[in-house]
Amino acid sequence: MSDDTDSKALDGPHPNERPETSRRRNAQGIRIDPDAEAEPDTERAVLSALVAHEPGVLAKVASLFSRRQFNIESLTVGATTDDDRARITLVIEEPGPGIEQAKKQLQKLVPVVSVTELPSDATRRDLALIKVDGTHPDQVNAMADMYGGQAVDAGQETVTIEVTGSEQKIDAAVEAFERFGIEEVVRTGTAALTRGAERTAAKVPPTAEPESKEVPADD
Amino acid sequence: MSEPAHAAEITDSEEEAETDQRPVSTGAESVVRALENDGVEHLFGVQGGAIMPVYDALYDSDQLTHITMAHEQGAAHAADAYGVVANDPGVCLATSGPGATNLITGIADASMDSDPFVALTGQVPTNFVGNDAFQETDTTGVTDPITKHNIFADDSDRVGDDVGSALALSREGRPGPTLVDLPKDITNGETDTEPGEASVPDTYQYREHAETESVDEAARAVEDAARPVILAGGGVIRSEASEELYEFATRYGIPVVTTMPGTGAFPEDHELSMGGGGMHGTGFANMALHHSSLLIGIGTRFDDRLTGGIETFAPEAEVVHVDIDPAEISKNVHADYPLIGDAGTVIEQLTDAVERMPDADTWRDQCQEWKAEYPMDYPVPEDRALQPEFVVEALDEATSDRAIVTTGVGQHQMWAWQYWDWLEPGTFVSSNGLGTMGYGLPAAIGARVAADDDQEVICFEGDGSFLMTMQELSVAVREDLDITVAVLNNEYIGMVRQWQDAFFEGRHAASEYGWCPEFDKLAEAFGAHGEAVENYDEVPDAVEAAMEYDGPTVIDFRIDPQANVYPMVPSGGNNGKFALSEGQLDEI
Repeated sequence: MSDDTDSKALDGPHPNERPETSRRRNAQGIRIDPDAEAEPDTERAVLSALVAHEPGVLAKVASLFSRRQFNIESLTVGATTDDDRARITLVIEEPGPGIEQAKKQLQKLVPVVSVTELPSDATRRDLALIKVDGTHPDQVNAMADMYGGQAVDAGQETVTIEVTGSEQKIDAAVEAFERFGIEEVVRTGTAALTRGAERTAAKVPPTAEPESKEVPADD
Repeated sequence: MSEPAHAAEITDSEEEAETDQRPVSTGAESVVRALENDGVEHLFGVQGGAIMPVYDALYDSDQLTHITMAHEQGAAHAADAYGVVANDPGVCLATSGPGATNLITGIADASMDSDPFVALTGQVPTNFVGNDAFQETDTTGVTDPITKHNIFADDSDRVGDDVGSALALSREGRPGPTLVDLPKDITNGETDTEPGEASVPDTYQYREHAETESVDEAARAVEDAARPVILAGGGVIRSEASEELYEFATRYGIPVVTTMPGTGAFPEDHELSMGGGGMHGTGFANMALHHSSLLIGIGTRFDDRLTGGIETFAPEAEVVHVDIDPAEISKNVHADYPLIGDAGTVIEQLTDAVERMPDADTWRDQCQEWKAEYPMDYPVPEDRALQPEFVVEALDEATSDRAIVTTGVGQHQMWAWQYWDWLEPGTFVSSNGLGTMGYGLPAAIGARVAADDDQEVICFEGDGSFLMTMQELSVAVREDLDITVAVLNNEYIGMVRQWQDAFFEGRHAASEYGWCPEFDKLAEAFGAHGEAVENYDEVPDAVEAAMEYDGPTVIDFRIDPQANVYPMVPSGGNNGKFALSEGQLDEI
């Protein structure tokens, strides 16, 4: 017995009499210098997934992100030129390891063919329909021109403007139209493709193992 | 995965198919044909309205034997344990609605432990789906988060292939539960399409071999490791890689800790075995994990019950992580050397790539010293109340090395895990990840059906856990299954009582029974053999009687109600600071 007063103890040195270790890990399981621990920054990533075009796929993706508590900023889904494949574009906000984990979990779903994280220079577009008060149609149209948009519905009481562009541009447009009194807004979320000849998502499942991201231990 | 052996099975059954099988005429017959073609021999299930066409088609099958369980949860656990022991999918059947929802716990259990498992559920006819019809549940919706994949069958011509996909997906890559939902009009529907060979969808891929470059990097780390430890998980057993593991560990002299699902992956009587690690692992296993400089995790997901608090887990160790599922890499613990592939294949790659033994003599000596310092010698109180560890050891002695042990969940499970000597892979069949009380008895039924005749099947249960599924005893009697159920009865939900004593000032909220049915007499009422044991002297005779009885026996062991499970790393705690008694929990 290590402790005579504790007759029910198993044999062995007391916890406080055992050798100590010098290092520790952070919450992501990465070994760190205890003096240099910092919360990892949240990053925004655009993921493009090529998936089997069949019922229930969107539900599986949404359910995955919900149960694993990944933050989705937006999600769009649509057909491709291949009848058997659809493309899902997701914008997520996570610390770096969370983005890696989200990609791998998404790839793991059986109907998902491939997943790509798009580079920051990828072509990204949102679409918004902004319904504003129709009292000053000329001014509304002038504002729409400034944002490269156009009126798609005009009536006695309201005008609806269509604007496409980056998320930031849409944010700015919505803000600008507020002066006319916005009745309603609908936004699509981000659709994105890589620039140039590079493929957004491979048509066959990847066989190469994902790159292991080098995580510095001491910063 | 023993693919060649499996391929041989398929060929055999296909040859039979050519000689004596009639062509299929309905979706249900196609479902049965797909099971037969894949070599399935046993099914566990419960009848009901929407699944009746499938049962009707089973009526004509010579190959398939169906075991009717008392409750669908029992069917799921039995199929799960069958799959674990056979290392090939166990299949269960249930009807729609409550039949399907009763399977949920078993499916979730199979999911957490990556078990090969297929559920076939009846569903209301497709023209009723979505209308809240009688016994309708959105089964694919409900089971989506707890299956590897599920399929709503919507075509009588394809339903057999859907079942084939479910079998193949459950078995290939990282195993896991799959489900096919079978609407009644689809199974009743006419078809003359024979199902093809079971195959995974073309969108599904996995790797067998790790990349050579990554293997070489890991091999250099192994050669340079001063304090290497292998952490062998359930993936080693699923991959049937125990021999490869043995070769790797013994050739390079690397101590081996197992996780709970990895129990038996490495023989515990070997000098290099450090036993099981984690919350209730041995002191020496946790010392080895905590102080290692290179942790080689193989087929493990670094579950929180194993790691304790992640901040203090193996804090000085670089991590080699071998797993077939890329999503496990750096999920809980950052992998410095990720190796994606099948456990057996990658261990062989690694064994070949390592060129010299690590210089770890001092470390191996240290590991042996820890074994001497922290022996698993349970204390016996002065009143000589029956200690549960003694019961575990008595049954271990009375049985062969290949005996299969199933357990429920709680203190009894931990005692069985700690005090049985694990020498063979696949002999510990437990609810590891989900922690399902009541798993033990239905699992023993599934294990008995899958096991060889010379393998004894011992089920450890607690009184609380046993009461959750004990109706399955009727199945064991009806099917004349030779199993021994050892109820470690303390008239408590014991693990909760232990935690209440340790962390809730001894306030025993809803954990005290203070009374239990007489399990031996209950067994007799079911038609099983019953024994009751109150002291040490009665243990040998009761065990001998159970071993001699050719059928199910229940032994009600009235154990010391105050017995606790130690060592213990409190939840989120530091593995290096495991407590050896309740008193020590306050001091760490």
